[in-house]
Amino acid sequence: MKPNVMLSALACSFLLAGMSSSAVAQRATLTVNSWGGAYEKLHKQLIFEPFEKANNVKINVVTVYSADTLAQLRAQKAAPQYDVVHFSGGQEVVAAREGLIAPINAEELPNAANLYPFAKEGMSRGEGPVHLVTAIGLLYNEKKVKNPPKSWKDLWKPEYGDHLVLTDLSNSYGLLGFLMMNKVWGGSIENTKPGLDKVRELLDRSTIISSSPEIQQNFAQNDAWVAAFSQDYAHVVRQGGQPVKFVMAEEGTPAVFFTANLVAGRPNQALAKKLIDFSLSPEVQAAFAREMRYSPTNRLAKLDPAVASEVVYGDAVNGLVRFDPAQVDANRTALVESWKKLIAR
Amino acid sequence: MASHREDWAIAAPGLLLLLLAFLVPVGSILALGVRTEGGEFTPAYVIRFLTEPYYLGISWRTIKLSVVITLVCALVGFPFAYIMARVGPRLRLWLVILITLPLMTSVVVRTFGWMVLLGRGGLVPDIMRSLGLVRRNYTLMHTEVAIVVGMVQILFPFMVLSILGVILRMDPRLEEAARVMGCTFLQSVRRVVLPVATPGIVAGSLLVFTLSASYFITPSLLGGARLPVLAGSIYETATRTQDWPFAAAQSLILFTAVLLLLFPYIRLTRKAGG
Repeated sequence: MKPNVMLSALACSFLLAGMSSSAVAQRATLTVNSWGGAYEKLHKQLIFEPFEKANNVKINVVTVYSADTLAQLRAQKAAPQYDVVHFSGGQEVVAAREGLIAPINAEELPNAANLYPFAKEGMSRGEGPVHLVTAIGLLYNEKKVKNPPKSWKDLWKPEYGDHLVLTDLSNSYGLLGFLMMNKVWGGSIENTKPGLDKVRELLDRSTIISSSPEIQQNFAQNDAWVAAFSQDYAHVVRQGGQPVKFVMAEEGTPAVFFTANLVAGRPNQALAKKLIDFSLSPEVQAAFAREMRYSPTNRLAKLDPAVASEVVYGDAVNGLVRFDPAQVDANRTALVESWKKLIAR
Repeated sequence: MASHREDWAIAAPGLLLLLLAFLVPVGSILALGVRTEGGEFTPAYVIRFLTEPYYLGISWRTIKLSVVITLVCALVGFPFAYIMARVGPRLRLWLVILITLPLMTSVVVRTFGWMVLLGRGGLVPDIMRSLGLVRRNYTLMHTEVAIVVGMVQILFPFMVLSILGVILRMDPRLEEAARVMGCTFLQSVRRVVLPVATPGIVAGSLLVFTLSASYFITPSLLGGARLPVLAGSIYETATRTQDWPFAAAQSLILFTAVLLLLFPYIRLTRKAGG
């Protein structure tokens, strides 16, 4: 008797599973990538789930980082599997050049009209629009630091002792922070020697982290005072109870630009464009700023004063420094190797 | 002849799995390290590795740490395994559970545990400070000591269990005979137990050495970015800079080094009758 009950229960569940999957198949499906962790959770909550409801579409989210997404797009060139891809490391420049993503006409996205110029500038080159920005600046502990750092060169002030945190260049925040230090000491993307030489002076009094969550641990447990890192993680650390403030250094603020791109050669492009447009809407962007302190790229996004004071906001985003992604990409391998040699004990 | 065929039939699924899931992919990865994009043979990547002081430094650290980890495991593991073999079966069961219990937890979780214990303000630096050994703000994180501590904890069971198996098979009367013939306890351990246990110690050492040479999670978490080891460098090269041929060349070198270790091992165990 028992096995029979089990069997019929099993058969029922298969039947149900079959029915629900065929129901899903009738709805349109979009496949997108996100970057995991807290970001992906928010990505789903603020963009994918509301969009699914409003448009009767199923969004299939795959957790893949930007560099790997680009590698997958190349491998799938003949039969692409994604509809919309999100990049944070400037991969859209390469993807557009190789024809992996399709150009979008700014008129096709109603929200594009309200974007700051830098956010839609890439669209004329066939790249997707910038939907969020996180700035790289200096984080400091308000309780421990008497004279808050104002400029990148302040990292070299002896008063911060051995309480500095630097970030490995395998991390894209670390890479941008380093490129900026290199720039203020007279280097360029092709010539990183000035930056490397100056960082050597800091090695003995700093902790080098490789993954972003370590920044929080260093402020909480390792008595970190000053770090070069991003505004979104400044928020994460503060949420964790540490008295940490974010400042934009006076020589300039490099930033990470998050783009949403339309994959070439996919059937559902109209719907995919609608999804990209949705991520540009002022409400969605304001929610991202509220939840994780990302800067909006839509000038209509309204932020509470408390949130606005903690992100680069308004016309200030136009002043963010963007290192040319193609140039960075061309020099990355050599730079990362010299960096590794520099920091290895 | 027929029984031979049966042997092959029984072994076939395992062999097939080994071939498809191990030999083919690993072989093609290794081949990547000595081929140009066009598919011709090139030693360029291997030469690049062998001529850069940076990579030789990483290799030296990998070997040095693996040797230290193996020695610590063997020195602590042998007495422990001996005692496990000599206590009653009930207590032995509990000791085996105690030794294998950490294996049920993810390596990453255990490594994070060590990060808490060894970091600034953690238990170990705190004790050292109250003993007056170190200054305030002292941390053991991002040191080679941290790597050794973390790795020994992970690999210790492999050593103990390999030695335990050998000592358990030993006839206890051999030891009794040695004692009757006038050996002290330590002499009987050295002249009777140790030679018998050698194959176990060698097998355990080989396991521990190869595992510690190829581990990257624990060394990179406890050692940090400034103390790279070979396995970590392979991982970084493959995933961060996406230089697959060079990553493959590094794997080839690690693989060859471990393989070279196997030969003396086989000779040693053969001599010891294992």
